[in-house]
Amino acid sequence: MTTAAPTAPSASDAPPTAPPSQAGARWRRARGPIAVVAVLVLLSFAVSLGARPERTGSLEPEASTPEGSRALVNILEERGSEVTVARDSASALDAASGDALVVLSSSHRLTRGELERLAGSGADVLAVQPTGPALRLLAPGVETAGRGDGVTPEPECRLPAARAAGSADAGGESYSGGTTGCYPVDGGDGLVVAERPDGAATTVLGDRAPLTNANLGQEGNAALMLNLVDGRDVVWFLPDVPVQSGQSTMWDLLPPSLRWSLVPLGAALLLLALWRGRRLGPLVTERLPVVVRAAETTEGRARLYAARRARDRAAAALRADAAERLRTAVGLAADTDADAVAAAVALRTGDDPVQVRRLLYGAPEDGVPADDTALAALADDLDRLERRLSPGA
Amino acid sequence: MAVTGRAVALAFAAVPVVLAAGALAAWAAWASVALVVVLIGADAALAPSARRVRLERSGDTSVRLGETARVELVVANPSGRALRGVLRDAWPPSTGADPARHRLRVPGGERRRLETVLRPKRRGDHASAGVTVRCLGPLGLAARQATHTVPWSLRALPPFHSRRHLPGKLARLRELDGRTSALVRGQGSEFDSLREYVPGDDVRSIDWRATARRESVVVRTWRPERDRRILLVLDTGRTSAGRVGDEPRLDHSMDAALLLAALAAKAGDRVDLLAFDRRVRAQVRTRGRGTSVPAMVQAMAPLEAALVESDPAAMAASVLGGQGRSRRLVVLLTDLNASALEEGLLPMLPALTSRHTVMLAAVSDPAVEAMAAERGDAHAVYRSAAARRTMADRRRVTAELRKRGVEVVDAPPETIAPALADAYITMKAQGRL
Repeated sequence: MTTAAPTAPSASDAPPTAPPSQAGARWRRARGPIAVVAVLVLLSFAVSLGARPERTGSLEPEASTPEGSRALVNILEERGSEVTVARDSASALDAASGDALVVLSSSHRLTRGELERLAGSGADVLAVQPTGPALRLLAPGVETAGRGDGVTPEPECRLPAARAAGSADAGGESYSGGTTGCYPVDGGDGLVVAERPDGAATTVLGDRAPLTNANLGQEGNAALMLNLVDGRDVVWFLPDVPVQSGQSTMWDLLPPSLRWSLVPLGAALLLLALWRGRRLGPLVTERLPVVVRAAETTEGRARLYAARRARDRAAAALRADAAERLRTAVGLAADTDADAVAAAVALRTGDDPVQVRRLLYGAPEDGVPADDTALAALADDLDRLERRLSPGA
Repeated sequence: MAVTGRAVALAFAAVPVVLAAGALAAWAAWASVALVVVLIGADAALAPSARRVRLERSGDTSVRLGETARVELVVANPSGRALRGVLRDAWPPSTGADPARHRLRVPGGERRRLETVLRPKRRGDHASAGVTVRCLGPLGLAARQATHTVPWSLRALPPFHSRRHLPGKLARLRELDGRTSALVRGQGSEFDSLREYVPGDDVRSIDWRATARRESVVVRTWRPERDRRILLVLDTGRTSAGRVGDEPRLDHSMDAALLLAALAAKAGDRVDLLAFDRRVRAQVRTRGRGTSVPAMVQAMAPLEAALVESDPAAMAASVLGGQGRSRRLVVLLTDLNASALEEGLLPMLPALTSRHTVMLAAVSDPAVEAMAAERGDAHAVYRSAAARRTMADRRRVTAELRKRGVEVVDAPPETIAPALADAYITMKAQGRL
């Protein structure tokens, strides 16, 4: 059944069908997302202004972490020592003039030349767990002797600083040689003092534990460190990880033509995105109808019955339906009472009228099935009764 | 403005050129990019304007659901240059437009006709969403694009599946027409003719005066009265929105209404239509003789069930306040929903039945019947109990309606149309119209 259009729009006299410019509409659509992005950028910028990440690391003078040393630095400053933090060799040597004590940790980050310059600087040095080269240059004549893991030795020496402090966590590496050795551990001493050729003294400590925030308060650690510093200024020399320079990156090693080919490649990818991204006209929307199955309410009722185990209601529904059908099958009127229906049905099937009545209408004492099995059995019994009455159905 | 796959291929082709350029790579890179950009820009500039293309539509405006309609689009190229490109005639997805995009090739100053075949899957009015034209440049690297609004609307009419029952029902109707005197005489019967007595005729219908004038026994025959008025009331409220099988209850009701309307029109009755939920959604009034089925089909096409509770009081007022005081057969096509009917329609019935004959047709749900027969575990029995409860409610409402003099036709979707037609024929045969 198709009919032609009575009034088809004609193109010859109609105004042009193309729409006006869409720049305004595009701006109105885009300004929301643009505003959101701008706010996010401003917000992240503002947050980054306030936050300065705390340096962390072993024996880091600014770190409050367990392996940092901020507690010791703070105590030293309270006691009148001026603590200068040096992160490279040049600034450490600058600050080490006078009778300051240079506390050197992470000596593996120093080159041989830097170690030599430090050894010739004339400043007293406290070397914490020095490497082999550092030990040879800073404390000539001292050798590594062994390791005593986790022990807390007594000083057992003449050094006043150690004697006053008592036992300390100096049980890391042990050393032999030097002028004075304290805290005997595993065939050597945990703390060794050695004279350098330039006249200054180097104290070698075999364990980092006495300097850390975590262990400073234990044993005589704090006292040992304060006694070793002895009111002098401190240069806390923690070299940064050396940066290798002069090496070319992967980028530099690529041939220039390969690098330059990225320009047309980028342009091509941009065009690819434009090609695939340009839709042929806007999307068409369609108003979809509501899809509700008509049986939904009945199914909902079934789920409610099942959820609440409403056996009484379910049994009543099954019985009422069966009784209604049997009543019409035996040809009785709608207002016939239960006994008459049961009697008429029993007459046709040959059953006991009392049992038929109990099945169809329930008895006062056991009207509701006791459990789900009994309910299923009731449904089957009702079906059987109906089939007996009308075998053809 | 759009770029084509060819432009992308050209841009990718520049990559090996730059790789091979060696020392001149930097120069080659920028030169190739500039070349691609210039070529695309020039091609776009040389492409015919997509905005200036003129479009004109013609074709079908209505189609029966399940059949195909053809809509034509004439593309005129007013420029002097040949137009090459793609055209998309956009329709809502359910109209099944084919092809989705046309290849376009229009020489300068000429016109071309494109045909889009539509096979709607949903009833109602479907509007064209717009025509997008993309005109390629001479190199095929870039294109200019514009979307035109070329309004057209296709109305998908109700499928009227039940029309296959029409010949059979018409045959039954013809049997009533003056052929037999063995009809029950009622107030709706009128005298048709006299004919000779044949054994089996009701002796009460012998016309003794006519017999006296002749040598043989003559009987009077009766035929159902013609020109009765029938009003079909479609309920478009929430109870008609539920899906029975694949279609909403409303569509099944429409099918039944159309069969009844076609049948009644052939029987010489006049059929009106009223679609109602809280207000009148559609109305068809027959004036004079002739069939009103095409008008009804058109009126039904855009109807959708609304998710509102119908207002039977307003519906009754609309029916009673309608034209004429003559007695009519009012056929309500709704659902036997116990709560909706008991609260809404039953109080309104006395006013309706005192003036008109009322018939109610409802589509029952085979899914509920299937649920009622479920057996096995406890869940199946609970489902069966719920289904039987629903069916008992339906029976109760049906009994209540019949007690108040309403004819009720309750049938599954496949048989509702013939069942309603049968009920109509029976009423007509009994002269109860």
